[in-house]
Amino acid sequence: MSIKRFKDTFQRMYRNSVYRIWLWVLGFFTVLATYIKYKSLKGKDQFAAIKADLRKELEATDLQEQLLHDAMLQARKKNEYFKKNASEADIEKEAKAIANKNFEQILQDRAQIAAEMQGVREVTMAQAYADLIDNKLFLFASVIVSFPMYIVMVLFQNPISKYATDRIVMMIFVLFGVTWLVFTILYISPMDPALNILGQTATPEQVEQFNRVYGLDQPYLTQLLRAFRNLLTLDLGNSYQGNENIILALSNKFPITLQVTFASMFVSLGIALPAGIISAIKQYSSFDYIAMFIALLGLSIPNFWLGLMLILYFAINLKVLPATFQVGNWLTLIMPAIVLGTGMSASVARMTRSSMLEVKNADYIQTARAKGLPENKVVMKHILGNALIPIVTTIGGQFGGMLGGSSVTEKVFNINGIGSYIVDKQYIPDIPVVLAGVVYISFIISIMNLVIDILYAVIDPRIKSRMKNY
Amino acid sequence: MANTMSKKEALYAKKVANRKLSGSLEFTTSRLGYQVSAALALVFWFFARKGSVMWMGVAAVYTVAALLQYVICKKIVKEVTGEANAVSPATRKLGWLLLPFVFVGDFFLFIAGCMLIKNNKNLEYQLSVYSTLVSIFIIVVSMLNLFKETQASTFWLGIGLYGLYTVLNLVVMQAVRKYTFGKKPDKKFLPYAYISVAGLALGNVFSFLLGIVALGKYYNKNEEVNVEWIDVIRRLFRNYMACIGMFIVIFLLSVSVASNLTFEYAIAIDNNFRVRLAAPSLMYPFGCDDYGRCVFTRIIFGARISLLVGMISTILPCLVGGMLGAIAGYYGGKIDNMIMRCLDVLAAVPGILLAIAIIAALGVSTVNLILSLSIGGISGYARTVRAQVLGVANQEFVEAAKACGAKDGTIIFRHIIPNSLAPVIVRVTMGMGSAVLSTSSLSYLGIGVEAHIPEWGNILKAGSKFLETNPYIAIFPGIAIIIIVLSFNFFGDGLRDALDPKLK
Repeated sequence: MSIKRFKDTFQRMYRNSVYRIWLWVLGFFTVLATYIKYKSLKGKDQFAAIKADLRKELEATDLQEQLLHDAMLQARKKNEYFKKNASEADIEKEAKAIANKNFEQILQDRAQIAAEMQGVREVTMAQAYADLIDNKLFLFASVIVSFPMYIVMVLFQNPISKYATDRIVMMIFVLFGVTWLVFTILYISPMDPALNILGQTATPEQVEQFNRVYGLDQPYLTQLLRAFRNLLTLDLGNSYQGNENIILALSNKFPITLQVTFASMFVSLGIALPAGIISAIKQYSSFDYIAMFIALLGLSIPNFWLGLMLILYFAINLKVLPATFQVGNWLTLIMPAIVLGTGMSASVARMTRSSMLEVKNADYIQTARAKGLPENKVVMKHILGNALIPIVTTIGGQFGGMLGGSSVTEKVFNINGIGSYIVDKQYIPDIPVVLAGVVYISFIISIMNLVIDILYAVIDPRIKSRMKNY
Repeated sequence: MANTMSKKEALYAKKVANRKLSGSLEFTTSRLGYQVSAALALVFWFFARKGSVMWMGVAAVYTVAALLQYVICKKIVKEVTGEANAVSPATRKLGWLLLPFVFVGDFFLFIAGCMLIKNNKNLEYQLSVYSTLVSIFIIVVSMLNLFKETQASTFWLGIGLYGLYTVLNLVVMQAVRKYTFGKKPDKKFLPYAYISVAGLALGNVFSFLLGIVALGKYYNKNEEVNVEWIDVIRRLFRNYMACIGMFIVIFLLSVSVASNLTFEYAIAIDNNFRVRLAAPSLMYPFGCDDYGRCVFTRIIFGARISLLVGMISTILPCLVGGMLGAIAGYYGGKIDNMIMRCLDVLAAVPGILLAIAIIAALGVSTVNLILSLSIGGISGYARTVRAQVLGVANQEFVEAAKACGAKDGTIIFRHIIPNSLAPVIVRVTMGMGSAVLSTSSLSYLGIGVEAHIPEWGNILKAGSKFLETNPYIAIFPGIAIIIIVLSFNFFGDGLRDALDPKLK
């Protein structure tokens, strides 16, 4: 890792106003030293001398009067066109501002040209940093003092890791936002969790005791800050009902939801991809019409109704499958997987078809055929390969959504997953559980979206090349 | 060699025939007519397998309908692909035979018949057919109440009024045949057009469309230029599935209005333990639930809740999100960043979960349900509108408006929003379908509409308890949900194609 790359990264980051704040925050002492050096150099270097000379030179000519004249003309015309009756003094003031701005611009441009001819550079923060970092002692000291800044700078040298870093920082802000939103909604709730848990016969003292134990008697801001602190320390507290550790409860339910998710993804992709591909290749055929009708039907069937019908037919009438889910029994996973899988496969199949139709008639597909590739290779590699981005988006979005638990289906099959856990607790409302559940699910979905976006760069060379310039 | 030539010719001939057929409204309507009738006949024979005379009769009528329609369809195929290239007048007369089947509920045959009878079918004629069909179908569905012990006190009043309304529709249809042709309707059609516009009060959107299409054409100053939105409607009506979707939605809308007169609300909500868990019969077509309430009546009254919640909870976020998206896209920079980051927070929570959290906080009620579904929808609409506005805002006509000194509000509302509306409209239509789904899902969980209100999810929830013994209580509301969501989806698909500028 050469020092030059750090210099470049510093220059690029300092140019952007947001990253500049990051640099100041993460590497305060290094940037402060750089700033002091920059201030001490500024105005005393050769560039400043060149600029001062040039200013004198230009002030001697009639450039300023010329600019003012043009600006007056511009201001008057504008005034006339928009039929505003500005006073002469106002017009003159506006014209002077324009003329001054133009003059400074011309001066800066000419000074830069002159400096370049003499081989002199304008002093910037990046320049100052580059000068300082060449000193090995400074480099050593600054790495120790402000190592977070260097970590970020290392991440920013690779476009993909830079993109991921940006997104993760954004995600943290979003998670705080979600916490704030859900907490506020639950805070303004007219319902009283104390009464719901202790029962209607609870004495006022008991209710007060409950509120004191769970900190519900404290002001809004204190409670909100505690929620933020819980989020930062990843200790989400205990639930009101049963007093169980929420993180533990969520992580106990996660494997179940994961199991259901994978099973239904398997069903969904197994149906959707072949159906979508065949529909796109044989557009307007009977298969296409029927498959797309079924897909639309799949989008319109309520999951819980389909679940009930499957239970009615396979569990009650035929007695071949158990009606409720049991951990470890693979037979019980079939029906939930079918219900969730068909719902998902509908939109995946539609997306596969439409995005393949878009690339089907592209010139490069013609080329692939013309060079004599076998048809299945044209379809699978060239058409499907180029149509993959929106398909992956759809699948990834659904995968994220499923990991968050599909409350309704979980309720129908009595699956003890995350979705049904949140639904069970919302009746109270068990504020810490609902809050933690929603934050957890938003976190999962954000991570999934990030993974998908990074996957794009891997599967699509167009996006990869665009990311290089990021 | 000769063999491959003839093969190619055959393929070519098939393609030509297919193109002719797909352009022929007579063929598309009659094909779907016999397909659906046959499918329904099969379903009814399945019901009749236990020897129920009622189902056998219905199944027999549908079988006849399917066969008749099939024969007519074959005739149409022969004539359209044959030398004449058109349906002969003799075949057109057969269309009259198809009309009466509407009285047993087969509206596909009615539409096919109407499309077959008339030679020149302009947009106004199609609209008036659908409008008439809505009013006839309301009477047919209401007539099922005749088998009940008692009818609503206003039953005969309602039937009479809707009978008159049907006659009015038929009169308008005659006027359409006489006065609307070419680019501009005759001046004599104007009173009929105003009457049709008033049909909106009864929920009959077809009649309303007929009126404003005629008025729009009449007041169009430049006859050489077609009015754009009329073109969109015309393209929409080329897609038969979209028309069917639209018909079902509008029928449910109209029946929500009509049920005030012709249906008895008490049967839907009052307990009647004499008929507790009664099986489907003519008196109770979909059976009765555990409190002895007629499931059919409950479904009819549930339509208004589902439509109301579906519509409000899509239009509300569309307005709010659309405005935020338009502002963000138009101004860009810091404002854009701020609005979109706030909406990111909303978008990070899945819609149904946010709804659950909001309802958990505010309590179970229809208003809270609408509110919670709306809040979840805002960010989606904002993103759609923002993407559209970003595309439109950089175009020349916006720059021209700015150069002329137009105010920001004028530019946004007069230039940018109308030009970025198409994907939003499609999203709204599809969104109504999914809002109905979400509503019923939440009701099923017990956190949607209040449990005593007849809403489809609530009916289903009640039915799910009797899945082993009385499955029909859960089956029929589920089918109702599927049909309405499917209709919205078909309608939305059709709208997307109709609004697609590439297909103009």
